[in-house]
Amino acid sequence: MTAAALATRTRATLLPGLPPLLACLALLLAWQLYARTLSMGGIPDALSTIRELPAILGDRESLADILDSIRRMAIGFAIALAFSVPLGLFMGRSRTVAAMVNPLLMITYPVPKAALMPIIMLWFGVGDASKLLVIVLGVSLPVIYHAYQGARAVEEKMLWSARAMGMSGPARLARIVLPASLPEILVGCRTGIVLALITMITSEMIARQTGAGNILFNALDMAQYETVYAMILVISALGIVLDMLFEYVRGLLTGWAEPRHDLLAPSL
Amino acid sequence: MIAISGVTKTFQRRGGGTHLAIDSIDLQVAEGEFVSILGPSGCGKSTLLYIVGGFVPPSRGSITVSGRPVTGPGPDRGPVFQEFALFPWKTVLGNVAYGLREAGMRKREAERQAEALIARVGLKGYESFYPKELSGGMKQRVAIARTLAYNPAILLMDEPFGALDAHTRVRLQNELLELWERDRKTVLFVTHAVDEAVFLSDRVVVMSRQPGRIKAIVDIDLPRPRHRDELLLQSRYQHLVIELERMIEDPPEEIRP
Ligand SMILES: Nc1ncnc2c1ncn2[C@@H]1O[C@H](COP(=O)(O)OP(=O)(O)OP(=O)(O)O)[C@@H](O)[C@H]1O
Ligand SMILES: [Mg+2]
Repeated sequence: MTAAALATRTRATLLPGLPPLLACLALLLAWQLYARTLSMGGIPDALSTIRELPAILGDRESLADILDSIRRMAIGFAIALAFSVPLGLFMGRSRTVAAMVNPLLMITYPVPKAALMPIIMLWFGVGDASKLLVIVLGVSLPVIYHAYQGARAVEEKMLWSARAMGMSGPARLARIVLPASLPEILVGCRTGIVLALITMITSEMIARQTGAGNILFNALDMAQYETVYAMILVISALGIVLDMLFEYVRGLLTGWAEPRHDLLAPSL
Repeated sequence: MIAISGVTKTFQRRGGGTHLAIDSIDLQVAEGEFVSILGPSGCGKSTLLYIVGGFVPPSRGSITVSGRPVTGPGPDRGPVFQEFALFPWKTVLGNVAYGLREAGMRKREAERQAEALIARVGLKGYESFYPKELSGGMKQRVAIARTLAYNPAILLMDEPFGALDAHTRVRLQNELLELWERDRKTVLFVTHAVDEAVFLSDRVVVMSRQPGRIKAIVDIDLPRPRHRDELLLQSRYQHLVIELERMIEDPPEEIRP
């Protein structure tokens, strides 16, 4: 390998990790300086917040709470995917199904799902079921929408080619429409992950029993601001890790696709 | 082999009204014959081909293939579209083997046959490439191989070389002719390039526009096997090209109210 080639390679492999890291450090620094100079009672500085982290992550009960949140989020996400993807694909390929489902989506899209939490709790109690349902609602809408758009845009000649090979309608939906819309479906999934995180925390805020949100809002009630901020850090880190994991899976699943430009998925 | 009788297609237009795309097309194509449909843009060439393929129903008239009426697509008629329409999530090998796997062939055997075809269209070594990694000409070769793979008796080709540069186009024309001379499939070939139609075909169907009707059917009485360099020098070839060019150059008729 020539020196120039090596240089471009190192630049390419180093750069993607570096800017986000610098941004995080800058943010922590700004936080530290702000808390130190303008110190108001409610804001702990960055260092003491970070020092609080081992206490939370080392505490068996808190850790169990956080894992419980992740478990609920994963189950809710999986349930949402299981019905949203087929529903979206059906809508994309059948005008009748789309005409039936679209008005329902229009009504539910602008409603903040966490705002439904009190009503849902009346029906399903304060346990897992209510929290799961809110997560499922949050995740399913963007996934349905993007699966719908993806299925609608499938090139007709591709479906015709499959028909000429003798492929039946249901088989075309599963083996042509699904893979062809996969890049678009994954855009919906990415939004879905963010919404799952948000609905997970807010559901735990409203129905306090377990979970990361429970720790956060209990600490807030008791004015333990270090814990509050440390939990915010933990949740953010969870979001970043999930997103990185998702991007990795996306690369595995849709490496074949033409690169695309999305508002939500800028590629570095 | 293919009998098209009285086929008419009227499209419903948005906001009411209808548009007569093709009108009373009668055409017979014999087994092993290479027939081109030549006409200006919008004269309904694709529409006619889609109807023969069974992808689009005719408004009136009927199609039979080997005596059986066409009611939908089937593996006896293999389409090759101008848009390639490859499966982007499949490799070259996966695309070409797709129809064989669909017909129930074991994976090993399907891939073996696909590999042989890929070599025949000159893409040996590209088996593991994805469509996005191929040039336009290579994609079209894969599309042709994918259709040839499940061995349809009839090929329906819609301007397969329309999107290619002149050089690639000539190469693929030569390759198509070579393939055809080997297994003499029945081919219905849509094009708007006069020289392409004359070079490849036994007969050329000239269509007029608004609505699409058959204007003339010209026999291409040039000996086979044909070689481009020899053909270009023949006065019979030149004569045919000029005759056909005059026919489609006629001023387009206006849409009648
Ligand atoms: N789905 C459709 N709905 C309405 N009108 C259509 C539809 N498809 C084709 N047409 C009309 O039918 C006519 C013939 O179209 P077609 O695509 O068959 O032409 P073509 O000869 O293949 O043209 P080109 O050489 O540009 O591909 C056109 O006037 C077009 O407006
Ligand atoms: Mg056309």
